Amino acid sequence: MASFRYALRDTFRLLFRHWGLSILTLLTAASVLYILGFASLFAMNMKYMISRIEGALVVQAYMKRGETTDKALELVHSSPLVSTVNVITPDEALDRLRAKLGNQAQAITLLGENPLPWSLEIQVQKVEHITPLVRDLMVLPSVEEVLYAGKLVERLANLSRTSAAVSGVILMLTLLISTLVIFNTIRIAIYSRKEEIEVMVLIGATPTYISLPFVFQGMFLGAGGAAIAIIGLWSTYASAVEMIRSTLAFVDIIVDPRILGQFFLFLFGAGATTGWMCSWLAVHRFTSQGMRSR
Amino acid sequence: MDIRMSGVTKVFEPEIVALEDVYLSVDSGEFVYLIGMTGSGKTTLLRLISREYLPTRGQISVGDRNLRKLRSSELPYYRREVGVVFQDFKLLQNYTVFENVAFVLEAMGIPPKLVESRSNEVIDQVGLWRRRFLRPPQLSGGEQQRVAIARAMVNSPSVFLADEPTGNLDLRTSEEIMRLLLSINAAGTTVIVATHDQHLVDSYRQRLVELHNGRTKRDERRGRYFIDGEL
Repeated sequence: MASFRYALRDTFRLLFRHWGLSILTLLTAASVLYILGFASLFAMNMKYMISRIEGALVVQAYMKRGETTDKALELVHSSPLVSTVNVITPDEALDRLRAKLGNQAQAITLLGENPLPWSLEIQVQKVEHITPLVRDLMVLPSVEEVLYAGKLVERLANLSRTSAAVSGVILMLTLLISTLVIFNTIRIAIYSRKEEIEVMVLIGATPTYISLPFVFQGMFLGAGGAAIAIIGLWSTYASAVEMIRSTLAFVDIIVDPRILGQFFLFLFGAGATTGWMCSWLAVHRFTSQGMRSR
Repeated sequence: MDIRMSGVTKVFEPEIVALEDVYLSVDSGEFVYLIGMTGSGKTTLLRLISREYLPTRGQISVGDRNLRKLRSSELPYYRREVGVVFQDFKLLQNYTVFENVAFVLEAMGIPPKLVESRSNEVIDQVGLWRRRFLRPPQLSGGEQQRVAIARAMVNSPSVFLADEPTGNLDLRTSEEIMRLLLSINAAGTTVIVATHDQHLVDSYRQRLVELHNGRTKRDERRGRYFIDGEL
């Protein structure tokens, strides 16, 4: 307990002794984490939008005259790509047509016998699953025609892949930058206390005791940077939501406070963990060298 | 704690032999002067005991610990039992006298109240009570030496090593430091003092080990002489 108190005291000594460097690191960490948060929010929203569109995408498979949906249903049920399937009987299809035609529904009576075939309405889990499913359905002899939003499906799949890749790259880059910034700040702090650490090693301080203030310093800088970034992201995101709602009301974006809260909590944890890991790495190398007898 | 060295050789790269085949046995509570010219191996010998260096050949044991087999996780705990006064003091320039002494106890995780009382007690013992809030650059050489001694003795080590503790000090201050070291030894601590201050060695007669070119040249106990490391 006493060691923890001393470590905490030394952490604040370190932070205030090099206050200029501390502020600079804090701001750099905040900027980098802001970019990281922004990229993640963008990716999350893209994924959210795509999943909403995906949810609405339906593959319609029409059977040949006189054929039922049994074979096609068998195939659809055996596929892990399908989330839901509805069987539309010719009577249900006719009812729908009537509803669609409204005032002109009387015209249907001219058809005499119901000419509409059996059909299936299939929803898949992901946009990428549509094309292989369509291919499988087309080869069935009982299937006359399969309708789906082909181009849209391909574009969505491409967009989904590209946005995931771009946000992944941004994520990696920002993580690398924040790691390097915090790592170097701690290294400078270590060098400024080099003499002190050497004496500590000689008088019998354990590596943990020597490392703790630096590890805490890294955690404070990482967590502090994340807190600043979260405040910035919160206000930016709130304005963006406001703007999108007033101009592009049809665009679906994440507004659930629970999801956003979890995301910001994750960002805060990521900042603190990055700070902790970087400082531990920097100081561990130094103390283990000091502990080695020549 | 007793110290045993057998056949200890220390070679630094490239081929600089600092110590060669040294045999030394120091009993618990003994006071030993380590003398010899500059480069004779005095500091190396002390650093081998404090386990800053590992011997190239030979064995060193302090108490029941074989220093060669000491694991790095055990090293901090071993070093707490060995108080060292470094030739260049190694005082922290930004810390006050009190902080320089107290931080040894803090590093051991001792509660603040105990740290304060014990540090004050030792600072008083070395005669620096009035200067406890000054920093090393504000102190004289003798005072800095006393801070270094206070820091080395604050955790009551079993072995006390002092490297040239009276170097560059005037006669009166040297005698004060010497009396301090003798008082530490009187409390049962094993003390080894590396020095080339002949006046000190003659005035306060204790066991004398002389090193020459890294070898034991003589080992004199209460007037008896042992030549070439023969014990």
